[in-house]
Amino acid sequence: MSVPCSLKVGPFTSNIMLRKRFIALYIAIIWLSFIPVLMEFWFYWQILWNETNALHFYLFLPLFGLLAYVSLVFSGLFIAKIFLLVINAIHPPKEGVFERSYSDKDYRYWNIRLIVKKYPIWIAHKFPFPFLDNICLRLFGVKTSILNSLFEGWVDTEFIEFGKSVIVGQASIIQSSLVVGNLLIVKKVVIKDNVKIGAHSVVMPGTLIEENCVLAAHSLTTVEQHLDKNWIYVGIPAEKYKVNSFNEDGLEELIELNIDVDGIREKYEKLYERGERMQVGLLQRKKEKEEKVEQEKERWQRIPT
Amino acid sequence: MTAEQQENDKPDLTIDFITSSAIGRINFRFLLIYIPIFWLGGLTTMIYAVAFIPQLKSWVASLLYLPASIFFMICLFIMGCIFFSKLFLVLINLLHKPQEGIFKAEKGCKEFEFWQIRIQLKKISIWLLNNCPLPWMDVLAFRWFGVKVDFSSHMIDAWVDTEFITFGRKVMIGQGAVVMSSMILGKYLIIKRVYLDDYTVVGGQTSVSPGTIIGQDTVLGALSTTTFNQVLEQSWLYFGFPAKKLKVNKYAEVKPDAIKRIDVDNAIAYDVKFDINIDEDKRNMINKNNKKKKNPEEK
Repeated sequence: MSVPCSLKVGPFTSNIMLRKRFIALYIAIIWLSFIPVLMEFWFYWQILWNETNALHFYLFLPLFGLLAYVSLVFSGLFIAKIFLLVINAIHPPKEGVFERSYSDKDYRYWNIRLIVKKYPIWIAHKFPFPFLDNICLRLFGVKTSILNSLFEGWVDTEFIEFGKSVIVGQASIIQSSLVVGNLLIVKKVVIKDNVKIGAHSVVMPGTLIEENCVLAAHSLTTVEQHLDKNWIYVGIPAEKYKVNSFNEDGLEELIELNIDVDGIREKYEKLYERGERMQVGLLQRKKEKEEKVEQEKERWQRIPT
Repeated sequence: MTAEQQENDKPDLTIDFITSSAIGRINFRFLLIYIPIFWLGGLTTMIYAVAFIPQLKSWVASLLYLPASIFFMICLFIMGCIFFSKLFLVLINLLHKPQEGIFKAEKGCKEFEFWQIRIQLKKISIWLLNNCPLPWMDVLAFRWFGVKVDFSSHMIDAWVDTEFITFGRKVMIGQGAVVMSSMILGKYLIIKRVYLDDYTVVGGQTSVSPGTIIGQDTVLGALSTTTFNQVLEQSWLYFGFPAKKLKVNKYAEVKPDAIKRIDVDNAIAYDVKFDINIDEDKRNMINKNNKKKKNPEEK
């Protein structure tokens, strides 16, 4: 739900090597993308700045900040797209298995493409609202509906096709390119309608996931694996587990019946019930907490026999 | 058709695997909530900027105060965003009260839509606090949104859902772990409360599914998962997919000094017989090194 702190750099496209000469390209995109935003600010200044009464200027400044951020993403996207069109005209992106060395033209251009895409995706991902991510992916050649939720995981930016209402779980990876030893494998990933991909799972290049499939958490697909319709897949590598019968209507009560944990739950609810604790009063609660802290101190000084 | 066959035809509905709690579908209406929160939160900082900064007449003083005032403005902005998102949350919860249970994850279902709106509302402030210069601040947002957490527990490095979770004291959740109280499975949305008792540790990259109850002093190892409604007993080490008992957590109540220490330098080095082809001179070299390790004082 929320982006964790230690992953602060955020999910973005994978990249293997950063050469010094590519940094010039990267900086150029950042620089050029700031120019339209500065022009926007200049217009805003011209229209609303009034030395005697600056109320309107300050009143709409936060709203302008939001607008400026979104337009920064779009201008970065626009410039990166232009660069990308030029690069793709020189050497169109191809699927296949390539050698991982700079003498190989496909590997070299794969690197350049990823570097060009990196900045807009990064800056779109820094925004808590998920639209910008999907728009970036769409413009860079991933076929998705804008309504999909792909922003919790790492999704590659080319050779991927998503269907409708796909969910990609927290920290799961969907890659269309893979480096194995001295080889670079680039293969198209196709994910069809209603597919749910669990947390921490990895989808390798070349996988085809059919409709109504579920790939459970902590599972991995191999290169060019084919997942059949209406099945739940679990494991490393993913194997057929059972038929996905959760796509039928009217099962709400049946699912509830399977396990009964109410007895244990009552015990735990007594410990943490908010209503009971609110009746106790502030001083009493403070006293309880102090007692607990003392218990903790005692606990750490005990020596086992 | 025999009875056995009929039983086999029944759909297997046990949930012994988990998926994710990412929102199912993005809705354009969410944007309507974001703009006022952002605007009103920004206005608090603007009031500070207008009221305070012009009072510093000399440019030296304003330069000196600049870092402090920038930091203060960031904090004010975050606090403003949290405050107004809480206001919206109260309004939304008045319209529809959050509930546990199993619901349809479709466009018409009221429960599902309000669940999405709640998550998106909380997301902006949790995200701002995670990117805040002060590290443990997301606990503040959790408390403000109604999850009872102490400042003794730590979950900033993990994906933790912001409702239907009860924390004990000194809970630690590892990097990249996913603690979810809700899960989307096919056409259904499952919401169930997660209990994390006192002194529990959840390892890195694990996923905790809805309905899990983790007892006092238990440790859930790294890269493992719990299934729906699983109960982990008190003071055990759990590991695996799904989590199974590994051994008793005997370190739970031990004083730190009493843990046995092994001196790595003076540990016994074993001779290794090489089955692999290694040249003669190199083999001698390795043997010499091993002897040196064995008795370092002989030299």
